[in-house]
Amino acid sequence: MVLRHFLKILLRPGEAWQAIRSESWTIGGVYLGTIVPLAAIPPLAGYYGTTHHGWQIAGNAPVRLTPDSALPISIAYFIAILVAFYVIALLIQWMSSTYGERQPLVRCLALAVYSAIPLLLIGIVQVYPVLWVNLIAGLVAMTYAVYLLYRGVPIVMDIPDHRGFLFASAVLAVSLVSLVATLAASVILWDYGIGPVFTH
Amino acid sequence: MNETVRYNDKVVRQFAIMTVVWGIVGMLVGVVIAAQLAWPALNFDIAWLTFGRLRPLHTNAVIFAFGGCALFATSYYVVQRTCGVRLYSDFLASLTFWGWQTVIVLAAVSLPLGITTSKEYAELEWPIDILITVVWVAYAVVFFGTIMKRRIPHVYVANWFFAGFILAVAVLHVVNSAAMPVTLFKSYSAYAGVQDAMVQWWYGHNAVGFFLTAGFLGIMYYFIPKQANRPVYSYRLSVVHFWALVFTYIWAGPHHLHYTALPDWVQSLGMVFSLILLAPSWGGMVNGIMTLSGAWEKLRSDPVLKFLVVSVSFYGMSTFEGPMMSIKTVNALSHYTDWTIGHVHSGALGWVGFISIGAMYYLIPRLHGRELYSIRLADAHFVIATIGIVLYITAMWVSGIMQGLMWRAINPDGTLTYSFIESVQAMHPFYIIRFLGGLLYLVGMLLMAYNLARTIYSPVPAAQPSAAPTGG
Repeated sequence: MVLRHFLKILLRPGEAWQAIRSESWTIGGVYLGTIVPLAAIPPLAGYYGTTHHGWQIAGNAPVRLTPDSALPISIAYFIAILVAFYVIALLIQWMSSTYGERQPLVRCLALAVYSAIPLLLIGIVQVYPVLWVNLIAGLVAMTYAVYLLYRGVPIVMDIPDHRGFLFASAVLAVSLVSLVATLAASVILWDYGIGPVFTH
Repeated sequence: MNETVRYNDKVVRQFAIMTVVWGIVGMLVGVVIAAQLAWPALNFDIAWLTFGRLRPLHTNAVIFAFGGCALFATSYYVVQRTCGVRLYSDFLASLTFWGWQTVIVLAAVSLPLGITTSKEYAELEWPIDILITVVWVAYAVVFFGTIMKRRIPHVYVANWFFAGFILAVAVLHVVNSAAMPVTLFKSYSAYAGVQDAMVQWWYGHNAVGFFLTAGFLGIMYYFIPKQANRPVYSYRLSVVHFWALVFTYIWAGPHHLHYTALPDWVQSLGMVFSLILLAPSWGGMVNGIMTLSGAWEKLRSDPVLKFLVVSVSFYGMSTFEGPMMSIKTVNALSHYTDWTIGHVHSGALGWVGFISIGAMYYLIPRLHGRELYSIRLADAHFVIATIGIVLYITAMWVSGIMQGLMWRAINPDGTLTYSFIESVQAMHPFYIIRFLGGLLYLVGMLLMAYNLARTIYSPVPAAQPSAAPTGG
């Protein structure tokens, strides 16, 4: 089923995490049913926003990306999101034995994905890129995502709350590390030719 | 162990209190210059208040005054308890306190006046440099003297880190500050051109590696096991990563000089060693986190442990980011942008700041035989400061990447798409967010100062005199 627990995680996170915990997931199911449709939002919105509207800097004429250069970037963006969830899920699984019992990978994947739902949804603001608006929207989404993570870890991983605090912090640190790795990888890719070409 | 050992805690108390005081001063200057970057008119056209003069004041105050006092306080506290003896010399210890405060005051006067060697993190002119050397030699004598007369045969690993930091900083300071004085307030570096740049960044990066890393790892290796009441996760790992860290850090400096006149092979060498550095850095992080794992029940109620665990997480994050940014391709974009500033502050606010704050919340109540006045205030400090760091580094990531993109954007005819000033204008909203992040961090420090002052002046002594000597 596509987008299960989708609204519930935003409105009643506690219940949603309980349901996610007791669900029998498959990795393919999580990817096809949840990750792929949601992870498509930021790259699609970004592609449309950067090629059609562009963004204004310091009151100048808007700058756009050429569709030829925006397309590979958007595809790489999409793939990066898919890969990032898998990597973070692997790291959560690796850490789970430290904090409690080793959990099945698919449960770790569900934890990572459902925590990140606000971030994926807010990707829609890239349709009309105004940088500081996007940043503030992103910060709000990030705050809610972090809240979801701290709520979710003890429930999904089935460990006491105080232990969950440390585990969730570790997941957050791992995600920040992955983010930095993505930043570095994008810069390197740009050097190999997959980079933005600007147009007015 | 002989119960009659009386530790010299006076000098520890002095340094601990000045850590808080200088922390507030240094961070206040940081908030002021962050505000100036967002609203340039805030320098009021007064030369002493311009960014160029206040910025070195900020870096010197937070690194050497705040960080330095934290290192003096903790190293004196730890070396006495882990060696089971009083400090080697009360007079020299007192000399280091008053000498170091004099250095800080002289810096606070000379830097706004524009008296500077122009060497980053080593701006102080030669008379102050000589005073620093004298104080540092006294520090080394006190520290190593105490280790020499120890009554516990084993030298605990925290002392290795402190010892490495004291020795390396002595060498770095003397070599980098070598200069020919012209007048009382002016000197010229002993090195010229690219050699000067190389020596400068050999010093500069190892100020990070030894002053801001090795020393603070010493803090980590004492206070985390103490507060968690658990042994170090792997003692072997701590010793291995100590040697790997000190060997590797020394070579990493050239990554500050990518694509400059520095010979290309030296740049590549710096990059390779920076990448290798990830391993010993993460060795330390893993050891810290795994020592904390298991102290679960305490984490909920203990703000000190929260500061320590988050500080080690930020250490892991920024020591991953550093090697990434040292890759030449990445550096070509990130260098001179705010990404660097964000990276430095995730290390400075997250790692160095939080571990010092955690150590002060541990030390100051114990040194005065009091219970901490308010755990809730300390928790509030933790939350406010964490939000501040996150705002700061996310704003700098976005603005840094934007700067990098704007500076290299070119039109089809090869001209630059943006003028420099356009990139400055584009940074405005992010500079406001950065200012707010810094302001939150400063508010947290003020809460801590109030909390600790109420602790010290509380009339009620702690139920158990926790300042009493304990083994280690």
